[in-house]
Amino acid sequence: MSVNAWLKSQRPLAGHALKGAIVLSLTHALLAVAQAWFLALILDAVIFGGAGLAEVGGWLGWLLALLALRAFITWLSERTAFTAAARVRAGLRDQVYRHLQRLGPAYLSGTRSGTLVETLTKGIDDLEGYYARFLPAMTLTMVLPLALLMVVLPLDWLSALAMLITAPMIPIFMILIGSGAEARNQRQWKQLARMSAHFLDVIQGLTTLKLFGASRREVEVIGRISDDYRASTMQVLRIAFLSSSVLEFFATVGIAIVAVFIGFRLYGVALPVPHWLSVPDIGFLQGLFVLMLAPEFYAPLRNMGTQYHARMAAVAAAEQLIEVLDTPPTITPGTARPTLPTPLGVRFAQVGFAYEPEREALHAIDLDIPPGARVALVGTSGAGKTTVVNLLLGFLQPSSGHILIGDTDLTTIDPAHWHAHLAWVPQQPRLFQGTIADNIRLGDPGADLEAVRRAARLARAADFIEALPRGYDHPVGERGTGLSGGQIQRIALARAFLRDAPLVILDEATANLDPESERLVQQGIDDLAHDRTLLVIAHRLATVRRADRILVLDQGRIVEQGDHHQLIAAAGLYARMTAAYGDAPALAGVTTEE
Amino acid sequence: MRELLRLWRLFRPYRAWMLLGTLAAVLTLLANVTLMAAAGWFIAAMASAGAAGVAMNYFAPAALIRGSAIIRTAGRYGERLVNHEATFRLIASLRVWFYRHLEPLAPARLQQYHSGDILSRIRADIDALDNLYVRVLVPVVVALLSVTLFGVFLALHDPALALLGLVFLLLAGVALPWWAEARGRAPGQRLAEHEGALRTAVIDGVQGMAELTVYGATERQARRIEGLSEQLIADQARINSDQGLTQAAIGLCANLNLWLLLWLAIPLVRAEQLPPPDLAMLALFTLASFEAVAPLPHAFQLLGRSLAAARRLFAIVDTVPAIREPDGPSPRIERFDITFAGVGFSYPDAERPTLQGIDLQVPEGRRAAVVGATGSGKSTLFNLLLRFWSTDCGSIRVGGHDIRDIDSETLRRHIAVVSQHTHLFDATIRENLLVARPGATPLELEQACRVAQIHDFIASLPEGYDTWVGETGVRLSGGQGRRIAVARALLKDAPILLLDEPTEGLDAATERSLMAALDRLMQGRTVLLITHRPAGLDWVDQILVLDQGRERARGDASVIPEATAAALLELAPTRHDD
Repeated sequence: MSVNAWLKSQRPLAGHALKGAIVLSLTHALLAVAQAWFLALILDAVIFGGAGLAEVGGWLGWLLALLALRAFITWLSERTAFTAAARVRAGLRDQVYRHLQRLGPAYLSGTRSGTLVETLTKGIDDLEGYYARFLPAMTLTMVLPLALLMVVLPLDWLSALAMLITAPMIPIFMILIGSGAEARNQRQWKQLARMSAHFLDVIQGLTTLKLFGASRREVEVIGRISDDYRASTMQVLRIAFLSSSVLEFFATVGIAIVAVFIGFRLYGVALPVPHWLSVPDIGFLQGLFVLMLAPEFYAPLRNMGTQYHARMAAVAAAEQLIEVLDTPPTITPGTARPTLPTPLGVRFAQVGFAYEPEREALHAIDLDIPPGARVALVGTSGAGKTTVVNLLLGFLQPSSGHILIGDTDLTTIDPAHWHAHLAWVPQQPRLFQGTIADNIRLGDPGADLEAVRRAARLARAADFIEALPRGYDHPVGERGTGLSGGQIQRIALARAFLRDAPLVILDEATANLDPESERLVQQGIDDLAHDRTLLVIAHRLATVRRADRILVLDQGRIVEQGDHHQLIAAAGLYARMTAAYGDAPALAGVTTEE
Repeated sequence: MRELLRLWRLFRPYRAWMLLGTLAAVLTLLANVTLMAAAGWFIAAMASAGAAGVAMNYFAPAALIRGSAIIRTAGRYGERLVNHEATFRLIASLRVWFYRHLEPLAPARLQQYHSGDILSRIRADIDALDNLYVRVLVPVVVALLSVTLFGVFLALHDPALALLGLVFLLLAGVALPWWAEARGRAPGQRLAEHEGALRTAVIDGVQGMAELTVYGATERQARRIEGLSEQLIADQARINSDQGLTQAAIGLCANLNLWLLLWLAIPLVRAEQLPPPDLAMLALFTLASFEAVAPLPHAFQLLGRSLAAARRLFAIVDTVPAIREPDGPSPRIERFDITFAGVGFSYPDAERPTLQGIDLQVPEGRRAAVVGATGSGKSTLFNLLLRFWSTDCGSIRVGGHDIRDIDSETLRRHIAVVSQHTHLFDATIRENLLVARPGATPLELEQACRVAQIHDFIASLPEGYDTWVGETGVRLSGGQGRRIAVARALLKDAPILLLDEPTEGLDAATERSLMAALDRLMQGRTVLLITHRPAGLDWVDQILVLDQGRERARGDASVIPEATAAALLELAPTRHDD
């Protein structure tokens, strides 16, 4: 579907408001004809009929009524047009964001979120002009000039002819000039989105820039980007302005021709037309009326020219929206909502996965996470641990093989239903705009403060939270403003505790913690593991020793599994990794424990 | 209104542009009014002359009509070009101005802001200021000049007509804008805030999608975005409805003016005090003259939004940075020993000091470690040394100079940092490395990456150093990101090296290879390491143990057991319980 067709196909989102707006602006324009008629009547009577106020009083009354009615309609049509566009905007923003949710984290990790943010905010707002002004203007352009011709033709066919000939020049020239503008406009919008993405990146990385003394250098970059943006916007605008000037010029010429034809005939000068053409006579009343209608005839065309760049902005924004909406989800979500056993068991049967063809991240692995067990997944970085987690979370689906929950294939289960059984603490947890309590409640918004406190206590986060001036109501930003990495980790852990899910996935949950906090959190995790299935992804092997089962992943294959003692006895990769980590770590030499 | 004065100062460099733009706008407007009035007169005069059978000179008025038509078309084109060019120049310079003031605030003073909020300021709020120039400043000047001229013109015909015209022009050009401004103030303010909130919610929703999904919170986030979107639209709707109202009111003013003009002028024509063709001219003139004031109500309605935007910008610009740069020239740093003497520090709003009476001396080329639990104040020491914050008492000296006397950027030029959280920019690996040394050759990059043990990995990627790393570095694992950070530190080649938990969250093999890389990196540099893990402690010359912001012990590695018997020995359960 072309961008234009797509934009038009979104019209139903506006409901009746769009039709209402069009009808109202049409009525408004037709009332202008009536107004011109009364004005012409009055002027004619006064100038040529020697009439006074008494004679024209009735017409003046009509004129007054028309003025009031037109003012009211102006207001009403503005409102209706806005409502139409607002409905489309709200509808689309929701639709696009929900589609992003369907595409899921796997898609988002491959895109620039700054660009998406721009598309979802400014991009959607740019559609306003298209639905509120361009579409009504376009319909008006198709209807109103014809209607006016119908009015003028019986009064003076010569003026009608002049209008008929000059009018098509306007769209023709517009298209000639506008065709080059489209591509430029597209480029310009992309540049705008890039500029925004760059700003977001700079804002989020300002401290890093500062560390490298690059933050002041960035002044020039921002200056250059803004200036490039100015230059490219002006390129687009120059064309837009030129086209509307050409349009204006033709409209003026058209009006001038009509005026000259009328004026010359009124004065009685012969018109420069072939003599076989018998020129119709015209009176002052008709002449003035037609002359006042001439600007109204060109007005919709001129207006279209002005709204043309509302359309261009919308087309550019729509292209980004279509790009998102046309991306098919890489996963096909299941729909089944089976009752899953508590605690949960998970089995990977010959699961293979490739991010790109030929580059397999997992090679037909088999692994078993028995219900209620504590399973650890270890391996060097790049071994495929994150892929296993993403598969288990349902962000990715296996290229081959099956993930079985009991005996249900994970791909058939409704993702929301599946997620309701999970708690997950990622490697770098994110805190969301809101208070600490809101963040702990992420998975259970209805939880009362007591439950939040309990979860925080289990995650060993209660002490530092309660020491904050506003406690659980302490507002946090995206990077946990003022909180240390370990504290953020513990808030995320509290989130998992509150979630109370049968399967808990901890990705490096105790990283960033000092030994004391780690010990405390570990105790919390032990509490959590009670009656639940626990999958721990670990880099540091010390934390996995007590696991019921350790799975060793290497280059996309499970190379060993068993408990700590079995694996040490097997003297394989795990044993080597353990030795490498130093069963006698540096500090152990100074602690007298060893 | 104080904001307006401050903004004017920012606009001042563009005075010449504004003057030119305003002149073009006035010319265009006058040409348009002339065109309409002359056309009305022309038709009526021609008809009168035709009816009376008298001759008239129609060349002069025809020329006037032609001339004003041309001036109108060309003038409008020129006016738009000049004013838009000026606006975009102004906006570009405002962005730079804003960033210049934003930069010194990071990271200390920006902690309380979400990046979405800052983004909204640098994008939407600055854009909202263009309204002030194109829609307020220029039209107000144009309206002032032209309304004066119109008054004079009308007065030449009849004082009563002039009075009538002025009353309605003032009604449309002063009373309506005044009303619109008052009505637009509150929603304008809310718009600025809601736009920021919407951006924030969208950023959270996009960047935090994974966690929202697992915790079943996506629906809530979608509704949050929807709700903000609706609030935004509700305020826009109110502004829009008012705008429709003012637009209708302008039309009504023009038409009522015309109506009353007819009421007053018709008897004049009858009394032969006004030539009949002049009536047609005055009628069309009246309608056209309102073009001078038509843009004003909407502009003043948006004034609230613009001033709210200005206030949001000034709020950042006026924030006093956490540190004060020295006035005089910075001393040359020739030695790189570090001395903390009696350093004390509290974060704003904190209940207790984060650091108290810290003394530490690291001779040039030697290594020291600061050990302590989370929240013991280790990272704060780094923040102070890097001049992100300023000490409350005591002093920090580098090479014998108090760091308060050194320009902070100059100071940081001598310091390289490897921290847990390195921002990887939304760019290629190469560009991310070049941040550390913009002029580095590909060979230098490669050498640094070899030492950082990351070259082989990069080389194995299909696009090598030109591989794009996502804004959050999602395509690199934690260990890989950390090694990029080491490579950056190597490239920076600074005499002082700060290591913040450099091996946190890494597996054993990676940790070992990274430690080897760090060993190379540390050679010949003054090193300060903060950690809560034992790894690397055998490489340092001295250790300072911190507990709740105070010194607990110092000495070589042997002080740790007694100092931290409570904490570090508890390390045992996870390590020694089997």
